[in-house]
Amino acid sequence: MSKRVGIVGAGVTPFKGRWVEKTYYELAQMATREAVKDAAISIQDVDAAFYGIYNDIFERTAIPEHAIHGLLGMQNKFGIRITTGGATGAYTLSAAHAYLSAGRFKTALVLGVEKATDCFDFSSMSATPEVIKSIGWSGDSFFEQPIGWSASDSYAEVVLAYMDENPGDLKPEVTAKISSLLSEQVKGNPYAQRQFDQVTPEEVMNSRLVVYPFKELEICVYTEGAAALILAEEETARAISRNNGTPVVWITGVGEANEHSFAGKNQKDMSRIMSDYYASHRAYEMAGIEDPTKSIDVVELHDAFVHQLEISMAEFGLVPLGRADSLIDDGLMTPGGKYLVNPCGGLIYCGHAVGASNIMSAWSARNELIKRGLKTALVHGTGSTVAQYTVCMVLEHE
Amino acid sequence: MTTQQEKVIPSKYIPDVGSHVETIEGNDYLITNDAMYTFYQRSKGEFSPFFLALRDDKRLLGCKCTNCGLVRVPPFLTHCPDCNFAPTELIEVDQVGIMNSTPPITYFATSLFQDMAPYGRGRVIFNGADTAMSVNLYTTTGILVPGIFKKGTEVKLIFRDDRKGEMTDVFCVPTVELSKEQIERKGVQESEINWEAPIEPKLPQADDQEVALYNEALEGIKSIIEEMNTNERARKDIAGWKRHILVKTTGGQFAIVIDDGDIRLEQREPASPDFVMVCEDPRTLLDGLAYRGAITDSVINRKLWISKNMEFNTIFKLDRMARSVARSKKS
Ligand SMILES: [Zn+2]
Repeated sequence: MSKRVGIVGAGVTPFKGRWVEKTYYELAQMATREAVKDAAISIQDVDAAFYGIYNDIFERTAIPEHAIHGLLGMQNKFGIRITTGGATGAYTLSAAHAYLSAGRFKTALVLGVEKATDCFDFSSMSATPEVIKSIGWSGDSFFEQPIGWSASDSYAEVVLAYMDENPGDLKPEVTAKISSLLSEQVKGNPYAQRQFDQVTPEEVMNSRLVVYPFKELEICVYTEGAAALILAEEETARAISRNNGTPVVWITGVGEANEHSFAGKNQKDMSRIMSDYYASHRAYEMAGIEDPTKSIDVVELHDAFVHQLEISMAEFGLVPLGRADSLIDDGLMTPGGKYLVNPCGGLIYCGHAVGASNIMSAWSARNELIKRGLKTALVHGTGSTVAQYTVCMVLEHE
Repeated sequence: MTTQQEKVIPSKYIPDVGSHVETIEGNDYLITNDAMYTFYQRSKGEFSPFFLALRDDKRLLGCKCTNCGLVRVPPFLTHCPDCNFAPTELIEVDQVGIMNSTPPITYFATSLFQDMAPYGRGRVIFNGADTAMSVNLYTTTGILVPGIFKKGTEVKLIFRDDRKGEMTDVFCVPTVELSKEQIERKGVQESEINWEAPIEPKLPQADDQEVALYNEALEGIKSIIEEMNTNERARKDIAGWKRHILVKTTGGQFAIVIDDGDIRLEQREPASPDFVMVCEDPRTLLDGLAYRGAITDSVINRKLWISKNMEFNTIFKLDRMARSVARSKKS
């Protein structure tokens, strides 16, 4: 019988556009120090480490986790790195959950870290073109990289195909309002890259098009930082909780799905994010959730792009497919609305430190459940080309 | 439209050996120029017939499952995973197809593709295929803007004159921009298409008010361009760049000449402009040059039209010059 697994400690570094002062070694240790402190345990009490680091090119080394294992105090213990594009952090959590649930370990460190903006383009003397080029090596190398594949244009393909099938949804006024709303929510997150970067819907509407149909203020920003969680199986989790006085937030549902990366018959339906659909519904099933609209209070959603946030909410079954604008039109995510979506500001305002992002989202969801006394949260990670990968997790607070 | 490159990595991307120190809150941090590079002699393996057919025969191949009959283009597998790995066989498919969905347009590209922007990349289901192939999308009508390619738009595969056995050997244009003969014939090359006849937006007849507006805006543009010409940062932005631009507005037209660091306004039509810029209201250009909103944005928002897609690069440079002048004033 599989064991119950909960989050008993969490910590993040400040998310910043550039961490000149720290390498990823130190960022990894910073988040880990915070997480073990939060759990009130020693790193020697942790049985295994799960590393979420997306891109070897960012860290400028293959097997980037090997050097941090020892300096986190994990020598001679289990250590594994997960890398699944944007969904790296969420898949790392999913892997740790599986090992603990199977009884292999009692406690685990889940550590996500990314250093992105060491990348630098010497032809324009700026970082961004080189950062997105480095991500560009993630596209299919035979057929798509050479013709300008990028993370943004591949997600734009999905969004435009959704708009082909659902004209009238994802209205520019609504995506602008969502971005503006997230920029208000980020004010409460002192670790966020853009804590004080509040924007009006008009400013979002007037921001430049980067990749049609995405405007600059509707896209996540690249970030350097780390996030860490301490997970434990039930008995250990309860003991840690009794000791540190913080309630356990249980991971009651986990679901994953990776779609086909090429489009067409029997392959990817570009107008859907089926990975979001399958992963969320698998997580609901495991958690015993029959109607997510009645159960989910908090959503920490991987908002690579505002438009994709809306489609993801529809694929989760939280708003009708084709009427995702009801998030704003019917006030479902506006203050006091039915769902608290990305209280941390999401990846657009807190920042996207790829391997760390979804772990930061889980950190935020746990904080919100405890702080607000809410019951259920959904945590989401999306990644790879055309929103191919998804991991969803249901977190519950007793 | 192809760019010849002698080296696998163009030299402009390669930094000199060097380092610098950045000081934050009194502490020094060392930052070193670096690269992580690997060279390949990479095999195209089982994809070789597909790429060789593009390069040498201007044919488009797919693979057909011997069991379910599904035709996949490109032929990215040899056995069908839907049919317990039944073998597939290579077949030739048509070079006309339809857009599987509305394609995105990249305006601000990665450092590798900046010279190509704005570019479209979308998925085409060629006649005879069941799956979609990613291709670049071009229009002969001028700058690529949303609306030219949509879900269901019929397109034709066009071959580069200079082919290397890569996906960059081909791209698509809408069939409405081609002759019946070109649509029907396989293996049409880029040099057979007329890229020099873009569809210029028609300007309304000017009244006295618009002429007055033009004259006023012209004075503003002239003085900004003169300022740019004396600004060292702005001059650096157009080092090595040479363009004759014909600017047409409702109230009148003029030329902007860029000549390796020099920029000037000429009130006569250039004999053979490199490209044409059309904006009804001359203040659109004036605002951009004065650093009140980007000219690239005006192009994307269709307030300002340019006759050649690749000249988006020149528009970029004009924006950069506007920024350089603004920054010089600040510092
Ligand atoms: Zn088959």
